[in-house]
Amino acid sequence: MKSCFIIMALSCIALLSFGFKGEGGEEKIFPYPILQHKLPNGLNVVTVKYDSPGLASFFIVMRVGSRNEVEEGVTGFAHFFEHMMFRGTDKYPRNKYNEILKSIGASANANTSLDRTIFHMTGNAEKLEVMFDIESDRFQRLHYSEHDFKTEAGAVKGEYTKNIANPYEQSYENTQNTAFDKHTYKHTTMGFLKDIIDMPNQYKYSLEFFKKFYRPEYCTILVVGDVTPENVNSLAEKYFGQWEKGSYESKIETEPVQKETRFTHIKNGNIPPFLGLNYKGPAFSDKEIDMPALDILASILFSQNSELAKKLVINEQKVRSINGEAADSRDPNLFSIEASLIKKEDMQYVKDEIVKALDKVKTSGVDEKILSETKSHLKYSFAMRLDNTTTIANSLSSYIFLTGDPESVNRLYALYDKVTVNDIITVAKKYFVPTGLTISTISSDAEGGVK
Amino acid sequence: MKTLLLSLLIMGTMFAQKVIELKQPESNKVVIRLMFKNGSIADPAGKEGLTEATASLIAEGGTKDLTFTQIQDKLYPMAAYYYSSVDKEVTTFTFAVHTKFLNEFYDIVKGVILTPAFDEQDYKRVIANQQNYVDQVVRASSDEEYSKKALEDLLYRGTNYQHLIQGKSESVKTITLNDIKEHYKKFFTKNNLTIGISGAYSNEFLTKLKNDLGQLSSETPAIPEPAKPNSSDGITVEIVAKDNAFGSAIFAGSPLSITRANDDFAALMVANSYLGEHRKSYGVLYQKIRETRSMNYGDYTYIEWYNNGGGNMLPPSGSPRLSNYFSIWIRPVQIAKQLNAQYKELSGIKLGHAHFALRLAIREIDNLINNGMSQEDFEATRTFLRSYIKLYPSNSVEQLGYSMDSDFYGRKDYIKEIDALLAKLSLADVNNAIKKYWHTDNMFVVVVTDKSEADELAKSLKENAPSPMSYSNFVKSGLPKEVLAEDDIVANYKLNIKSVKIVDSKDTFK
Repeated sequence: MKSCFIIMALSCIALLSFGFKGEGGEEKIFPYPILQHKLPNGLNVVTVKYDSPGLASFFIVMRVGSRNEVEEGVTGFAHFFEHMMFRGTDKYPRNKYNEILKSIGASANANTSLDRTIFHMTGNAEKLEVMFDIESDRFQRLHYSEHDFKTEAGAVKGEYTKNIANPYEQSYENTQNTAFDKHTYKHTTMGFLKDIIDMPNQYKYSLEFFKKFYRPEYCTILVVGDVTPENVNSLAEKYFGQWEKGSYESKIETEPVQKETRFTHIKNGNIPPFLGLNYKGPAFSDKEIDMPALDILASILFSQNSELAKKLVINEQKVRSINGEAADSRDPNLFSIEASLIKKEDMQYVKDEIVKALDKVKTSGVDEKILSETKSHLKYSFAMRLDNTTTIANSLSSYIFLTGDPESVNRLYALYDKVTVNDIITVAKKYFVPTGLTISTISSDAEGGVK
Repeated sequence: MKTLLLSLLIMGTMFAQKVIELKQPESNKVVIRLMFKNGSIADPAGKEGLTEATASLIAEGGTKDLTFTQIQDKLYPMAAYYYSSVDKEVTTFTFAVHTKFLNEFYDIVKGVILTPAFDEQDYKRVIANQQNYVDQVVRASSDEEYSKKALEDLLYRGTNYQHLIQGKSESVKTITLNDIKEHYKKFFTKNNLTIGISGAYSNEFLTKLKNDLGQLSSETPAIPEPAKPNSSDGITVEIVAKDNAFGSAIFAGSPLSITRANDDFAALMVANSYLGEHRKSYGVLYQKIRETRSMNYGDYTYIEWYNNGGGNMLPPSGSPRLSNYFSIWIRPVQIAKQLNAQYKELSGIKLGHAHFALRLAIREIDNLINNGMSQEDFEATRTFLRSYIKLYPSNSVEQLGYSMDSDFYGRKDYIKEIDALLAKLSLADVNNAIKKYWHTDNMFVVVVTDKSEADELAKSLKENAPSPMSYSNFVKSGLPKEVLAEDDIVANYKLNIKSVKIVDSKDTFK
């Protein structure tokens, strides 16, 4: 990382000018040039050169996730399909693929969430062509038997079994299901258990799924590390250039406006009482001010040094921990505030205190000094994280799946700089309303009991 | 990985602390790690959890000059952070800051380590959270982590390694603020400290850091010897029965006499990677249990402690241990209650998959002990490891952590040295190491499962009764004959089980 950040003091707070400038002279938070190259079939190729001798991260970001699961009975399929991608091709059957992967000595895996599926490898940069070869083969020519398909469904159920042992995971599942009626964010990425159990029956649908979504227009290849864009682009053309473009687009229903507060509760006395306030929020955007303003508001209200945390966690000791943030997703999702309590009897009090803090922002805004400190906090947090190829690739992957363009990171941080106290008041009034709220609770009581 | 100059120096200082340096002049940050050789084995009897409480109160409390909230206010615009981490044999404080704020941040670092306030209100908050962890969280948040911790409790029962780092339900209640102050003075001293520093710092800064840390207590801490794991007579099983478990989470283990410090470790690394490399699909256990039989999410083996296996893809630094054991992690498999409800064809079964899975895993290890690895598998696995281990120190904090762990084990650079040892290995070295260090006749097994499964599982294990695999029709219809034939052998494979006990979840970690 270049250590050429320029800092100007203003009331002891840094106004940051970060070290990388774009072609138009604009300052960018991301400290390296992001080189993009689009193939005629729609595949985007992104290269970031980074001083990591001999090492590269190779990421394939597919803009398909549980958000795309619009049909009845197939929730969890994007994640299941990520598993199926490891079941081999005619050229590289499963064992051969594993053998090659092993020979590269890379750290490799995949994961799925609401809006995307990511396949990633970090390893020897000299093996980049091998990575391109084996990955391009499965992305274009995946071939598995019906038996392999049914067998893999058991592993997915095993994954659900280990996850759901955690009561917070159960609460998350219930919260999404309660807060949403029509939009596919109603189900988690794992899917509903009934659909997971039925997965082995969906072999034909899986073939359809591959044809619809595993297409170049859904895909970005991202390589970070000891590589050149010329080499990355030419390998992409060689191995992915023939990939046929598709035409499918999911028709995702818009969530109707929520009209009243909703509730979901889990009876479990074996963990600390839990309170979640989940407000309907906006979609991610690098153009509108809403999400950046909410991010800053979240940091001001719920970070460890916030007034609320000082009151509830440090002074009154009624709460073990509190946090709040807006989920970054392609469609409007939830702004969730979560508190782990000492006593279940304080549940209503804690809810009232959180709402009071939100209302105070609506009427009085926030202190200019805190606003400035928060902008500094966000930028330095980001800058300090970028210290290896995997973290850099992971960070850019988020913006790739959210907007399709990794430059979004620079636009987002430029927007953070522009957020004013008035913007924060506006978003607080707009989003923190009882009609957009879903309250989730866990306690030993039969009901949540929070109004 | 971005360093132009990467130097590793270990030097004595005027106060006898060790200093491990990783200079990275192009970095935008400075990381300081202070490692005290103490750990939970330094907890006095009856005060289990005291080292954790002390470290937490230092990291989550105020200093002589600043309250905890004042510290948080100062850190916020810098996005600087620090945290403590206690393991069995060491406690580590990690501090990270952007170079622009190093001097301001350092004032806080100094206060935190040298003049903690040990404030009554901070103490109440920290100890309440620790109490809650041992009372509730450890049992309720992840059955697989629970089974791993319960295995350590069984392997080390009656020793200084047995208790959770956070202590026991009863012992945490007895920890007073005064205990913490005394423990800080006795066990967080300049005589058991290793200083680690990386990033873009000056020599003057390091000199100041070393001099300041010389103000730590000058007592010589009496650190007990880390206990060796118990030897089991036959296979000892504890079934932890809890309400509403969705599956059976299994951890098994047996003592291992070597650590990273021994050169034989390289040979065992190859065997272990082949059998069950963490979170990799190449391992034999993963292939047989997950990939072929669809029984769970993954199956791995370990030749040293691996912190938070569910969350980490690469082994994190900061928990070096001289006491060691070999372990098998079988992620939750299905229980009868769930299978009954989910598949008509399995509505009559009384036992889920835990017994079969355990048999299969142990049989594979037996096969490896008896037959060894093939030349081909040996070469492929060694090639993999020689590349893969270089990814372990994945970021600036981990690079420093790996250097400090190397020093703990008496090595200069563990990754480089293990690579050189791997390069020299022969197949015979690996197969000899397997025979010498692994055995399955005497081990400890913990299964965390639902109350509805416990009795039937205990009976089946005790009687060494056949445990035929109960597949859903989906999977069974397409399984090759060889797999079904192997299943018959596995279902009747004799395990040397001598003791099976059911423990109620609320009675664990006592």
